[in-house]
Amino acid sequence: MFCDEALDLVESIADGELTPEGRVAAHLATCPNCAAALDSARRLEQALRARPVPRAPARFTARTMTILRRRRWRSEQFLDVGFNLALGVVALAVVGGVVVLLNRAGVTSIGNGAMDVMSGGVMRLARRAAPAVPVYAGATALLAAALGIWWWAEKEI
Amino acid sequence: MFDPVHERELVERCRRGDEGAFEELVDRYKDLVFALIARTVQDKSRAEDLAQDVFLRIHRGLPYFRGEARLSTWIYRIVANVCVQNQARPALATTTVSLDDERTGERHTPSAVDRGFRDFELRDRLEKAVARLPANARLLVAAHYLDGVRYEELAEALGLPLGTVKTQLYRAKQQLRRLLETELK
Repeated sequence: MFCDEALDLVESIADGELTPEGRVAAHLATCPNCAAALDSARRLEQALRARPVPRAPARFTARTMTILRRRRWRSEQFLDVGFNLALGVVALAVVGGVVVLLNRAGVTSIGNGAMDVMSGGVMRLARRAAPAVPVYAGATALLAAALGIWWWAEKEI
Repeated sequence: MFDPVHERELVERCRRGDEGAFEELVDRYKDLVFALIARTVQDKSRAEDLAQDVFLRIHRGLPYFRGEARLSTWIYRIVANVCVQNQARPALATTTVSLDDERTGERHTPSAVDRGFRDFELRDRLEKAVARLPANARLLVAAHYLDGVRYEELAEALGLPLGTVKTQLYRAKQQLRRLLETELK
């Protein structure tokens, strides 16, 4: 047997995969170089087996779960924003489409006339209601206070 | 390690969005994943980040995990990818020794004298020598000496035949012997 053949087997002998027998055992017993190689392979094997086994740091699981939750929250936020933006775009498209349709049908000019009549009416109504504004304001404040108290009481329950 | 039935149940629970189940999975595999990574990466301070990255990838990938391989095998594959990608990062890329050089290189002829060697120094040099191996070889050396990691699982995880995994491991060890020639005498 040649040294090359024996040296190819040194690692598997050292890690116990192979038991030297026959020609291999005889060569290893008589060749100092191959015996030394086997010896150093065994030392390496021992050193590798003796390597410390690093353990995960304390609270590794908790920290990983926190990162996971944060990422999930972010992706949900991203989805929410995306959904809201999409809704806004759709709403704008609908309004734009309606305006274009009204323009094409000539309804806008009728609409403008109607707006003039309405705004005139609103102005007359405002002039007539102006003296009673403090009364309306007081009533609104009372109503808001009542609603606030009701909401607070419901929340406490 | 898990028994396969428990493993399947756990995966199913995770897929249904059961956060507790995923927490259990992290708890079960954290030491193995961390040990593999800490033994493989050179920048030890990144080991925890990379181990967390492994679990985030597991979480993302679970819906697509078909259960054809064992969960542990799939996890080794993710660890291998993370380690290889980490090595590929330019900032952390370091000189590694090609295992192919072993074939063309001069065969070393160690002497059998002086059997005494200093353990501490050897351990230190061993870590440095392991760090010079290519990422796949480092992973093999790291995993082979951890309890519970089988050759078959590693071969499946790395997509290599069993014989190739063994050959690569032997070549990695030959390379380590060359690098540690003095200390191993």
